[in-house]
Amino acid sequence: MMRTTLRKSIGPLAAVLVAVTAWLGLVVTPPDRDQGDYVRLVYLHPALAWVALYVAFGMSAVCSLLYLWKRTRSLRFDRLASSAVEVGVVYTLLTLLTGSIWGRPTWGVWWTWDARLTSTAVLAVLFLGYLALRRVPAEAHIRARRSAVFALLAAINVPIIHFSVIWWQTLHQGATVLNPNLSPMIHGLMAWTLLLSFVAFTLLFAWMVMVRYEIETRRADEDEVGMAAAIADRQAEGIHS
Amino acid sequence: MSYVLAGYAISLTALAGYACSLIVRRRRLTRDRSETGT
Repeated sequence: MMRTTLRKSIGPLAAVLVAVTAWLGLVVTPPDRDQGDYVRLVYLHPALAWVALYVAFGMSAVCSLLYLWKRTRSLRFDRLASSAVEVGVVYTLLTLLTGSIWGRPTWGVWWTWDARLTSTAVLAVLFLGYLALRRVPAEAHIRARRSAVFALLAAINVPIIHFSVIWWQTLHQGATVLNPNLSPMIHGLMAWTLLLSFVAFTLLFAWMVMVRYEIETRRADEDEVGMAAAIADRQAEGIHS
Repeated sequence: MSYVLAGYAISLTALAGYACSLIVRRRRLTRDRSETGT
């Protein structure tokens, strides 16, 4: 009951906050001295990347670990991990797309084999592979175990993406907000709008994962009911023959 | 500015589309469940 109320209020709240972020980002905030209007993409691209890399795939890694650990093993964690990955893939693809759109006017190219871009693209492919792996027919716990191992191996790429701008010379700029000194290099209305964008897209992610988790749970229940009915049919056939 | 607008339009449309697909999938499951009585 409480979860339903929470989900029902998170969805509209996230939608409103995303709309406010877009309005602030496109209309209210000032253009940048160097980048002009292109800076407005800062209220979109970093928030999408934050959710994709740290929230979604961090959550899938934690849930996968919890599933693999015998004490906490539960298919709930498997369902949560897969829900986070599916939503995370959407966010990752949008991160790549908005980055490409931003790169065209500022770098002069839609795409370059830069360390940050390439490692992010590899992550997207890895997690698409995770979703494909889950579609391979198998018993629930076997599928959960191999998915969890795959998710943990794929998540190794996340710190590589984060530190890629430090470890290698890249076209992509270094960390602005999550820099090693933890001192964001923007301020004023721009900083508040940036913060709001992070909150808005994280809330939207939370709502999407909740709905996706519900779908996954209902499907699992249906499969269980279908399996029980099939066993009952077989048993009835055995009695009659 | 056209790049900026394109970025916002594509991202927000994609997220809205994905959200709608989630709602439709959930609704379909609810309907199937009520039809089969499970």
